[in-house]
Amino acid sequence: MTIIATNYKEHLVRSLTVQTIAIFFAAVCMLFAVQGLHASSEALPDSENCLYCHRYPQMGRYDENGKKRIFYVNERIFAKSVHGKLSCKSCHVSGLDQIPHTDIKKVDCTTKCHIKEPSTNQEFSHANVVLKMETSVHGRRNKDNPYPEDLPDCKSCHDNPLYATLDGMWCDNEALSNETLARCTVCHVRKEWAESFYTHFTHRMRKKRAQKDIVQLCTGCHEDREKMNRHGLESIETYKDTYHWKQVKYKVENAPDCLTCHVPVGHSTHEMYAQTDPRSPLHMNNRVSTCSHQGGIQVCHPGATPEFAMGRVHAYGAKAELAAAETTIKIGDDTDKSKSLVQIRAKKEISDKEIFHYEVLRYLTLIYKVLIGSTIGFMCLHQFLDYRRTRKRMKHSHHSSHPEKEDKI
Amino acid sequence: MNHASSTEQRMFIRLNRSEKNQHLIFVISFIVLAVTGFMVKLPDELVTLLGEHRQTVFQYRSIIHRLAGFIMILASLYHMGYLVFTRSGRRWLKDMLPRPKDLTEMFQNFMYYLGARENPPEFDRFCYKQKLEYGALIAGTALMSISGVLLWSESSWDKFILDIASLVHNMEAVLACLAIMVWHMYEVHLRPHKFPLDKMWLTGIISEEEMQEEFPLHYKKIMENPELQKIYIVDGPVKNAETGHGITMADVSHMN
Repeated sequence: MTIIATNYKEHLVRSLTVQTIAIFFAAVCMLFAVQGLHASSEALPDSENCLYCHRYPQMGRYDENGKKRIFYVNERIFAKSVHGKLSCKSCHVSGLDQIPHTDIKKVDCTTKCHIKEPSTNQEFSHANVVLKMETSVHGRRNKDNPYPEDLPDCKSCHDNPLYATLDGMWCDNEALSNETLARCTVCHVRKEWAESFYTHFTHRMRKKRAQKDIVQLCTGCHEDREKMNRHGLESIETYKDTYHWKQVKYKVENAPDCLTCHVPVGHSTHEMYAQTDPRSPLHMNNRVSTCSHQGGIQVCHPGATPEFAMGRVHAYGAKAELAAAETTIKIGDDTDKSKSLVQIRAKKEISDKEIFHYEVLRYLTLIYKVLIGSTIGFMCLHQFLDYRRTRKRMKHSHHSSHPEKEDKI
Repeated sequence: MNHASSTEQRMFIRLNRSEKNQHLIFVISFIVLAVTGFMVKLPDELVTLLGEHRQTVFQYRSIIHRLAGFIMILASLYHMGYLVFTRSGRRWLKDMLPRPKDLTEMFQNFMYYLGARENPPEFDRFCYKQKLEYGALIAGTALMSISGVLLWSESSWDKFILDIASLVHNMEAVLACLAIMVWHMYEVHLRPHKFPLDKMWLTGIISEEEMQEEFPLHYKKIMENPELQKIYIVDGPVKNAETGHGITMADVSHMN
């Protein structure tokens, strides 16, 4: 019994020692791990040592066109950006070996970076979305556009979000965000990972930009008359005459911006098509659905009739003006080389009925302007004369002792 | 200008109780409609000043605008009924109908303004200024109501009809507001002898002196006809009034 007891005691002591050592070892490991984590959340793991030069804010040069280029990278901001987990060479694939770099190529967003896309476990790239964009109305493929340089690339629209802080569903309320995040970190102990996953997920569940910013983004190109004319389009400033814009201006929730009506339901912003394409939500077959319930996304004009939905939402603009002018003047024909693309398209796209509508509205506006001008002009004149005469009459009656009598004569 | 003879001064009714109330409802709904309506047209910079409350403001604006529009339409319908079904309404309509005489009076009044005449023409109960304004009010309210209801029920209409409705609603609003400011506000509040505020729209009555000055023909007609005196003189026909006491505001509110 005693032997057994001694053995047991020895065993106990030994195992306790092993446990203590193990715990101590684990604690030391964790300490290092935490320190490492802490370090990585503050600074980029700059394994390529790019920041050796690029951390200096003054770093930059003037290029051949005299344009100032800045090559400074703020590591803390970069670490928080969508691409914060990538190394520099993931995107800047070539021409970096020589210093100073001489043969740098522009970043191609379809490049495969060394991140695994979890659903296929293959190397991730933006190739899918770029392909969708390229075949959409904004894309450079599948159409012989005479001015491809006008068409947008990734960075034309994805301008600032690269450096914008990402926030979650409860973007305005940090406490709520943390509250939600706390439920993730119960199991997913690495807080940094949980946070990144959380923001990745949640920022796709709401609109990233305010409606007004989207309108501003689109009008950046679409209000440029010269550019639009080249492509046979009209400037879209007429959108700002619509009630849609008034709501956007007042920040009404879910107020319709450009994307609300122009992006096909169930697709991403990259997949916009021309109105004539049956996939476009503005194709005549899809109009009623687009105006009434957006395919179930939100109810805007419940019970919209086809007559309502098929109308022109933006007010009549340059094209109607051109088409109307053409019917009255009748100069040249479609083969006329002097005609711009927008003139040719205006004639094709604006029906006679629409020209009639445009003319009616134009004359009505004119009539009202004349009516307001003349009526208010007449009124002002009348009241001015009245004021002058009444003052004179009052002066008279003040001077005379019997004003009534004098007035009556 | 007031003489010691205030005890003998008669007061004349310009607006009876119903007309006064109709006018008041119309004034309130008009102002509310104008404010909430033109809020849509505010430039971006001013809208931004509203800050985060923008959305709430806009939503209340939309509801209040429609509510005020509804009240104005009801008031207009009531007024139409008033013109047809009540004796005072029919008298109002008869006096308000345009006549060739109005054109001559307008011409004469212009001559007076230009100094070619010593006195303005002798106006009856409603002069050309008021008839013009009343006509404009009827046309304007009709157009605003129709276009407003069309825009309110937009999803059922052809977009072209809505375009016209929206154009008319906008332009008519500008016209109406300018006309009210230039024509009506001047006429009733800013004319030198009425400045700063003519209380007639609240009391409904004007003094004998003012009656003689502004509507001499109407005054004469009243003084010649005891039936009209019953209607238009606050304290009843002339003979009663002369034996009676001076009229105070308290009496007036009793009368109405």
